[in-house]
Order: sequence, then C-alpha cells, then structure tokens
Amino acid sequence: MDPVFRRRLEARLGSKLSGPVRQRHDTTEIRIAAADVTDVLRTLHDDPEFRFTFLADLAGVDTGTVMQVVYHLWSDVTPDWLRVIADGLSRDDPRVPSVTFLWKGAEWQEREAYDMFGIVFEGNRDLRRIYMPPDYTSFPLRKDFFLADDAARSPGAGVRHMEQVHVPRGAPPASAVRRIPG
Amino acid sequence: MTFVARTWNRLTIPGRVLLGLLLLGGLLTVGLALLIIFSEPILELLGANLPLVRFVAAATAVLLMTIPTAFLIIYMEMKIIALMNLRVGPDRVGPFGSLLSVVHGLKVLMKEDFTPTGADASVFTLAPVVTYLASVMTLLVIPFAPGLFGQDMNIALLYFFAISGLGVVGLLMGGWSSFNKYSLLGGLRSAAQVISYEVPLVLSVVGLLILAGTMSLNQLVLNQAGWFTDWYIWQQPLGFLIFFIAATAEANRTPFDLTEADSEIVAGFATEYSGMRFGFFFFAEYVNVFIVSALTVTLFFGGWNAPFPFPDIGLALDPGSLGIALLILVAVVPLVGILILALPFYLLRSSMPFWQALIIGFVLFNVVAVAAVLGWAFVSLEWVAGLLWFMLKTYSFVFIFVWMRGTLPRVRIDQLMGFAWKWLLPASLLNLFVTAAAVIVVRELRG
Amino acid sequence: MTATSRRPPADDPRVTLDEELGVFEPIPPYPPRTEREAEFYSLGDGEMFINMGPQHPSTHGVLRVVMKLDGEKVVDLDPVLGYLHRGVEKLCENADYHQTISQVDPLEYVSSLFNEWAPVMAYEQLLDIEVPRRAEYIRVLSGELNRISSHALFMGWMALDLGGLTPILWSFIERDEIVEMLAALTGQRMLFNYFRIGGVNGDLNHDFMSRLGDWMTRATQQIESNLTLLNENEIFVRRMRGLGTIDSETALRMCWTGPNLRATGLPFDVRRAHPYSVYPELDFDIPTRAEGDCLARYLLRLDEIKQSLRIIDQCLDRMPDGPIMAKLPRLLRPRPGRAYAAVEGPRGQYAAYAISDGTDQPFRLRIHDPSFIHLQSVGLLVPGHLIADTIAVMASLDPIMGGVDK
Repeated sequence: MDPVFRRRLEARLGSKLSGPVRQRHDTTEIRIAAADVTDVLRTLHDDPEFRFTFLADLAGVDTGTVMQVVYHLWSDVTPDWLRVIADGLSRDDPRVPSVTFLWKGAEWQEREAYDMFGIVFEGNRDLRRIYMPPDYTSFPLRKDFFLADDAARSPGAGVRHMEQVHVPRGAPPASAVRRIPG
Repeated sequence: MTFVARTWNRLTIPGRVLLGLLLLGGLLTVGLALLIIFSEPILELLGANLPLVRFVAAATAVLLMTIPTAFLIIYMEMKIIALMNLRVGPDRVGPFGSLLSVVHGLKVLMKEDFTPTGADASVFTLAPVVTYLASVMTLLVIPFAPGLFGQDMNIALLYFFAISGLGVVGLLMGGWSSFNKYSLLGGLRSAAQVISYEVPLVLSVVGLLILAGTMSLNQLVLNQAGWFTDWYIWQQPLGFLIFFIAATAEANRTPFDLTEADSEIVAGFATEYSGMRFGFFFFAEYVNVFIVSALTVTLFFGGWNAPFPFPDIGLALDPGSLGIALLILVAVVPLVGILILALPFYLLRSSMPFWQALIIGFVLFNVVAVAAVLGWAFVSLEWVAGLLWFMLKTYSFVFIFVWMRGTLPRVRIDQLMGFAWKWLLPASLLNLFVTAAAVIVVRELRG
Repeated sequence: MTATSRRPPADDPRVTLDEELGVFEPIPPYPPRTEREAEFYSLGDGEMFINMGPQHPSTHGVLRVVMKLDGEKVVDLDPVLGYLHRGVEKLCENADYHQTISQVDPLEYVSSLFNEWAPVMAYEQLLDIEVPRRAEYIRVLSGELNRISSHALFMGWMALDLGGLTPILWSFIERDEIVEMLAALTGQRMLFNYFRIGGVNGDLNHDFMSRLGDWMTRATQQIESNLTLLNENEIFVRRMRGLGTIDSETALRMCWTGPNLRATGLPFDVRRAHPYSVYPELDFDIPTRAEGDCLARYLLRLDEIKQSLRIIDQCLDRMPDGPIMAKLPRLLRPRPGRAYAAVEGPRGQYAAYAISDGTDQPFRLRIHDPSFIHLQSVGLLVPGHLIADTIAVMASLDPIMGGVDK
C-alpha cells in the first residue's frame, strides 16, 4: 500500500474518479466512468509524475448487473499495481473507448473481451471474434451464459450490435445469474 | 470384353492371384519355347548389335541398383542421425533395424496413390518419373570399377551435368501441377536454386578439365592411378570445395534443402504426393546423394584407385587347373572345417549338446568361407578391389552428407542465392584462371 | 428414416462424389466486419494468400496464420486463433478454488508451475494468507527449475524451426532430467499440479534432492557445451541476427514482457519490478541485451538459465525448516474482493486477476498470458521478410498455443 501515491491520484484525477481510491495488499484501485477512459489513461501514461507506460492486463468483467473493463498498470513511481476499473457499462450495449492508441498490444486483449463479453471498444480497428468462430452468436463469459448442457439456450441475451442475437424460448431466468455488488 | 471383366470381378483375391500366376506361367513357357526355337537367329542378332545389348543390360543393372542403394542410404541416414541425436534409431526390423527401409518401401507401395482435386493429373503423374529417370540416367556414366561402367563416353562429364539438370524439371512439374501453393513455392525454389548452383558447379570442374585434358570419366580415373598424392584434390582444392558445396545444393541436401523445407513450406513440391509417386521422389533424392558422392570421388579422389599402388601378391589361383582335386576339396573341406570349428565349443562348454556346437561350427565355417572367397576375389580380380575402394570412398561422402544433415540448420533463400552468385561464382572463376595460368607457366618452363 | 438407411455407406468404393470437393478459399464468405479485415482480405497486384496451419509442422501447435505473399515475401499476415480454445476461464468460474489449480495447469504446458503460481498467489491475497517461508522457497526452487526446462525446450524448437535436427534432442536431455526431477517432487512429468493455496503439495524428498544435486554439479557446463552447436554456427547466427528487430518503446506499446522485452534493453522483470515470494531476498541479475532481434532473444534466454542456476543455488543454501502449508479450512470462502497477482514466467509476465463473491467458487478468474501478447506482434515484425523468417520470428517469441488459446 502506498498512501503517497493515493493522495497524488486523488489530487490529479479527483474529478474523474467515480468512487474512493481503494487500496488492498499491493494494489491501488480507482473507478472511472467509461467515457473518461481515454482521458484518464492518457494522463496516467503521459504524465511525468505517473509514467504508467506498461499495461499489465486488460480484462472484461460481468458483475451480473453491469459490465466493467479492468486495466492493470505498472509504473516505476509506485510499488503498487494500479487497477483502473471502467465501471457501469450497460449490459445491453456495453461500449468503451479503445486504448489501442496508447498500447497497440491491447488490440487482441480488447478483441478477447469483445469475444467473451460483447464489450465494444470504440476505436479498435480490428474488433473481430478471436477465439470463437465468426458465426458464433453468444458471449460465453457473460454470467447469463450457462455451461455445457444449457449453453445452447443461453445466448447472452440483449446484445445486438454486431451479431444478430437469437433469443430462444426457455432461456434461463434472470434470477439464476450470479452477481457481485458493484 | 464384358465377359472377361465380369469373370474377373467375380473372382476372389486368391483366385485372381492364381489366375494371374497361371497366365504368367503360360506366357513364360511360350516365350521360352520361342526362345529355344529361334535361338540361333537371336544370338546372331545380339552379336550384331553388341553395343546396344550392352547398353540395355547396363541400363537394367543401373535401374535395379538404385533400389538397394536408396535403401542403404536411407538406413544410414536414420541410424547415423539417430546416433548423433543420442537416440537408438531403427532397431526392430532385421539386425540393428537394417530392414526398416525395406519395410518403408513396401509401405509406400501399398499406400493409396492420390491425385488431388484440381491437379493436372498427367503432369502430376509424370513429374516423379522425370526426376527419377534423370538421376538414374546419370548413373550410366559413373565408372564403378575397371571395366564396370554403363557407357564410356568421351563427353561423360558434359552428359552428366546435362542430365542431372533435368531432374529439376521434374520437381518444377510436380510443384506446378499439384494445385497447392506450398508445392508451387517449393518447385520454384528448386528451379531457382538448381539453376543458380549449376553455374559454379560446372565452372568448378573446368580447372580440372584443363589439367586432365579429357572429359571421359574413365580416363580421369586412370589419370589418378598411383599413390593418393596423384589425386586431383591436391591440385584443385578450391575447385573441390566449390564443387562439393554446389553439389550439395544440386542434390537438395541440408543446409540447402529449401525445396522441401519441412518447417517452412511443409514438404515443398512433394506436399501433395503420396504412395509410390512420393516414393519415386524419395528414391531420386537418395540416388542423387549417391551420384553426387560418386562423382566427387571420381573427379577428385581417384575413383576406384587404391590410395597406394597395391602390391601384386601373385596369388592368381586358377580353380580349373586343380582338376579332380577340386572335387575332393569341395566335398571334404566343409566337413572337416565344420568339425574343427565346432570342436572347441563342444570341448570348452560342457553344457552344450553336440548339435548346438555343430550349428555354431556351420555358421562360423560359412563366415570363414565367404571371407576367404572375398579375399581371393579382392586379390586376384581387379574389378572387385576397384569396386570395394570406390564404394568405400563414395559411402564416406554419403556419410558426410548425412553428418551435415544432422548438424546444420537450413539457410534462407536469399542467403542461398547470394552465396551462389556473390561467392561461389567468383571463386570458381578465380580457380579457373589460376589453373589456366599455372598450366601455361608450367608448360613454358618445361619448354 | 428409410431414406437414410437405403443410402450406401460413404466408404463404399462404388460411391462417387457428385459435388466438387471444396478448395480452400482464405477469403471469408461474409463481408468484412472491420477495417482491418477489409484491408487484409483484399489482394494487390501479384499477391496471393497462403494458409499456414492449423496443421503445419512449425506453428507450435494449432495456430493458423493467413499470409499475404508477394513471391516469397510476406506482405501482411493475419493470425487466426481459437483452435485450442477450451474456455478455461469459464471452467474456473464453475469450479471451486482448489479445482481451478488443475484447470489452469495445461495452459502454458511447458511451464505449468507458473500457471499455478499466479492464481494461487491471487487467491492467497483474497484470503489474506501468509505462506510459510519454506513453501515459498520450494516454490521458487521448483519454479526456476521449470524455467530452465522451458528455456531449454525453446532453444531446441528454435533450431528445429530453422531446419536443424539435432539441437532439439540435445536440449531434451536437460529438459528430461529436470522433468524427471520435478516428477520425483510433484508426482507428474508435465502438468505438475503442485502448488496449493497456502503452500505446496509435498515437501522436498530424497529422490528429488539427489537428482538435483547430481544435475547441478554439471548443469552449467553441459548446457553451454550443448549449445555451442548453435551459438557458433554461422548459418544459425546469420539467419537470426537483425531479424524481427524491435525497439524498447514499440515493445512497451505492444505490451511485451519477459525475455522478449529484456532483449530490447529494458530491464523489466516482475521478480524485481514488483517483487513477490522470496525474490527480494535472493541475489540475481536481470540480463538485458540491446539489439532486440531474434538472436538477442535467443541469447538472453541462455543468460537467464545461468541466473536461474544461481537462484537455485541460493535456495538450496537458505532453505529454512518449517511447515509447507498454511493452516486453512477445507472449504475456502474468501470475502468479496479483487486480487491481481503476477509472476515472471519463462515467457514473461503471467498474471491472474481473481474476483471473489464470497462463495467457494471464484466469481471471475482472468488469466493474462504472455504468449498471447507476444504472438500479436508477429503481424508487426514479419511483414517485409520471407516465409522462412516468419517461422524464425514466431519461434523466437516462444508462444505456447495452449496459453494463447486458453
């Protein structure tokens, strides 16, 4: 835990943060709105007092109520990992700006998040499915996608931007979905 | 016709084999009868066309020779590379796995011969034949031993280069007709490679030709008789190096095996081939290795000459002169020999029954007898000794090819071409000029 | 029903195929979905597509690469993944915390210990567990051994992809000894399933220690003598030098880590940049090379092997006594929270991001795999080079398809 870094984050990004800066073990966590991703990450990347030049991970998360995109960053100014959570993406139409302008290597990770969660990264010029076949229509890592036997009737209901989603009769009820708060 | 076809279809497989054998036997009998009846005019005809008969016989012999040669080299390659890799290698079929390549050959024969959709079937079928024939035809001019060669031409070397260059046509045909982009790349690679390396290959021997003044391979070998210092390698070391490198590329061997680079273009021109058509490519490759080694030996390492003048022991034994004693020898020597060889085993190993000792004696006697006959042949028959030396030298070079395959990675196509045009070609020209100058200077000095 | 039963079987030789057999067409049968796809799947003058994989001898598994060629020169390429996709992340969401360890094992199957290490560390953070020091030392010891075996295999593959037959078998000698050693320790040769939440599965045993001691006495010498076969080979060095060069800035933008990043001159190593386990107590260097080409990536792994040997020496020297497992309940229910843990695997930063919802199953387990990240850069490094170089560049990045496809 690095309290100095925490204060610096609060001072620099205060207005953009949608919640308190949390710290646990070796990680500092901030939450921002999806619209602020470009600004915040550019600041963290370019600002000489942060220098987060290294994108350690980019992950999509389905909390059961909303979608999130989670970035893990590393910098030599702090011993902590910085976790940036782009929070509150709607499950029906999750959209977030791409970070490929900062890290070209995020392209495939964004493709993976799109493939698994249906999150659309605006600005990624190659947002195709990466693991699943191109004619696949559901998003397997969403919480309303059930494994094995019932995979056939769990289409990741509601997402309709790129693939035409077919919602069959007998899809599992929304109450069956696991959720975490926030 | 339909009746024949229907009958044939109704037969079971043993029935078909039997019918085939019957027909074959009938044909052979008729042929033999005709041969006996017309023996006199046939012999006359053969006598009148002796060179032609000799040619046909030599071609048949050479064609048949390729199969055991290829099998042997394949086995050598499997075993030697295995040992270099610290593996065991083939060890199941035959003693030390030596029959594995025969089994491979049978397997290739039994596989389905497959022509892919979209391939140009006629060219596709013809390609392996062209490649195989090109390599077999070059064997015709190689002098294996004194008096043991297919054809003695005064332009043998020229013929050799001309025919071996044809092999690439087969590869190109195979690559183009397969309807596969990997094959096409492999075929074009081989065309580029072989044509580029043909130039330094031919130029590197020109220096040697200036020295020898002949293109006949037989004459070249005769020129190198005597001590091993008389071999052309000492007069043409640079020429030999260039020749060897270019020949490696000609034979598509590692590190120049780009035409079938398995880690890049799968198997190159051979990607779509299966069954015996693939087998022909395979055969041609290994026969090429043999031919290239044989030519290296012939040109630079004295061919069938021994490395030193072999002393004439004077053991020219003529079995015919022994008369009735020969019969007695043939009858008595084996019996006595077997008993003598079996005796120590029977006496020293008390647990061994006599029949086991006899079997051991029999085997040992055979070994001794074969060794004795070979030794006699080596000493008194010139061509046996020549063949032995020739094969020894040739297979040393085959070993070097296998060794390179086990050691070296593959070069890249641009490096390959650059090496041919930027290094080998100037070096071979240099060799040519130096040799020519030296010959002139020596001639002037001698007056 | 009757219609199907009357149909002759497909292997009947009398049956002839009426329809034309399909000829592979690399251009997808649907309109391009993205800018990049439209750009790639349109041919210029004299260009052709060639499909490499998923059954190609040197794509290290089941990778498919569609290449756009101009003669032998690669103009552009498009890697197509997913042939080995098993949905490990989804499987982990439906398994309890202990079971996930065996689910993630076969990801990067040549370095399984690191696959276990990152999730296990993440779970320990979720549970706030202190791992006993002896367990940490055993983890580092076995992990470094696994790193050496992975690098040894990399060198053999590298040579095999360049057409050399022997080095792979020579490097298998080292790998096999290490694998046997780890089998004595963990019970398995490849997918060890050895790390547990809060420690390791079993203590060091006599078989392992005697094999290790035997091997350590000659390891350095043997590895070096084996690899002179490649390092002093003119053909090998000439093919690798200056190939697939990348500078450190681009490498960072491509999110590179591990030996590949260090070969560009940046001394980024998770073991030092964000220390975990007992690495802060150990003395080792981070080798770097400035060239950033394939040869540098290859040689850097040699240097890493030497550093790993140093670490193993120190581990053996300082190995403390004590328990190898923390005291834990049989059923783990971490309180809701998130944890991110990264380890320095043989290929780079291998990380796990775990979210707990208070049940006995992880709510989400994200695996960050370095092979996936590095393979992406093939499209950046290769264009302009030849087909043979594609293979060499891909091999030098050392992707393991099990990890790339998850």
